[in-house]
Amino acid sequence: MSIHQENTHVSHLTLDAVDSDGAIRESLDAVQGDTRARFLAKAGLFGGGAFGGAALLGLTAEGASAATAKSDVAILNFALTLEYLEAAFYTEAEQMLDSSGELALFNKVVAAHERAHVSALKGVLGRKAVKKPKFNFHGTTESEAKFRATAQVLEDTGVKAYKGQAPLIKSNAILEAALAIHAVEARHASWIRDLNGAPPAPTAFDKPLSKSAVLAAVAKTKFIVSPAKKKTARRRTTGATSPNFTG
Amino acid sequence: MTVARVGTLVRPGALAAVLGALLGPAAGVPAAHAAAGPFQLSEPGKLSRWAFVERTTVARAEPRRSARAVARLATLTPERTQNLVVPLERVERRGRLWLRVRLPVLPNGTTGWVPREHVGTYHEVRTHLIVDTSKRTARLVRAGRTVFRARVGVGRRRWPTPHGEFFIRNRLRGFQDATYGPLAFGTNARSAVLTDWPGGGFIGLHGTNQPRLIPGRVSHGCIRMRNTDILRLDRKMPIGTPLTVR
Repeated sequence: MSIHQENTHVSHLTLDAVDSDGAIRESLDAVQGDTRARFLAKAGLFGGGAFGGAALLGLTAEGASAATAKSDVAILNFALTLEYLEAAFYTEAEQMLDSSGELALFNKVVAAHERAHVSALKGVLGRKAVKKPKFNFHGTTESEAKFRATAQVLEDTGVKAYKGQAPLIKSNAILEAALAIHAVEARHASWIRDLNGAPPAPTAFDKPLSKSAVLAAVAKTKFIVSPAKKKTARRRTTGATSPNFTG
Repeated sequence: MTVARVGTLVRPGALAAVLGALLGPAAGVPAAHAAAGPFQLSEPGKLSRWAFVERTTVARAEPRRSARAVARLATLTPERTQNLVVPLERVERRGRLWLRVRLPVLPNGTTGWVPREHVGTYHEVRTHLIVDTSKRTARLVRAGRTVFRARVGVGRRRWPTPHGEFFIRNRLRGFQDATYGPLAFGTNARSAVLTDWPGGGFIGLHGTNQPRLIPGRVSHGCIRMRNTDILRLDRKMPIGTPLTVR
């Protein structure tokens, strides 16, 4: 597929089509949404039970409170959306992929890491955390070749996504926490690259990926289900037709 | 904000690499090992999976495109609800995933292979409905525990309720036919005798306007319950639940 074709294809997609639960939109809205004062007033973001997640990320109360800039919240929610995606992908693969040896170990270890990232980010964000989207991985968690390829892209993208946001983070405490995750994502990327026979550290300098580019790539995968699929399973299987059963 | 807007901000080179790797063949990635054996997807009473039929497809006798066609699977049931299948196992052949699914065709118990991409994401159920036609009982089991029990009416000797492994595929209510009571569940089981019955002779699980006949051999093959029982079952049994009739 040429770059021109690819961009044409992307231009037909809308966020509505891929963002059924509003997770991506919530990430974006958070940039433009609440004022800092309103946000602090209604969220109480890093207080009480939420501090557990902050502690997991190495955030102190003092550091965390400085992280309530709305742009930092947006970045954290953007990160949370990616972590939801990764955690769901590896968790499903744990159940559905018929793997063994080091690939199975990679899946198990990374799944646990990604779930920990979700838990920590949700803890930090508290009520401001975006909702978990519904996913359909289209069989990539069931085929070893597709799992390997997808895992590599997800990890590489994760590394670039965190790097892309790092210069935009206002709070040093949040930056430190983001770097803690970024480093682990980089280890995941090297690990799966090595398993795939790809260079574990392909370049001396890594390039960042903007939020826009990451969101477009996520949209393109169709891993986040569309509004058309939002009808619950119970509704789709319930009818009012008079039965023709044998009686 | 649309992705069209986002797309104008994307650096094409980086995105092309990401998208190419995600959506295209697994270039540069080692191929999966030699075709593994079947991967079991459903075990009634423990964990069973079902999935919507996302596009009209043909179930085949073997997991390959050239294999004999066994049945056509539509996206809708005869009752106009979304059709679904219960996959029993999965194999990968030449990079393509195939599922062996239970089919709504005669002879009962027929299975066939469909491409994985023709059905949707999996839904999980941990319930199992067991109907005993000699004892005239229905029992719903969840996690090894019986959570529902009722006496039932089953088919007369000339129109027997078919025995075997089936699944619940839809739920009908709000219809204007008291014969079926307030609610009916559809299954993929079919009468082997009443093959010219309107709609194909599918076996249902439903209420009744003649509760005094239950329990007994009273039906044309369907499984009847008292109305209070079918409504109680509705609160406990999700769609996709495996059904064993013995």
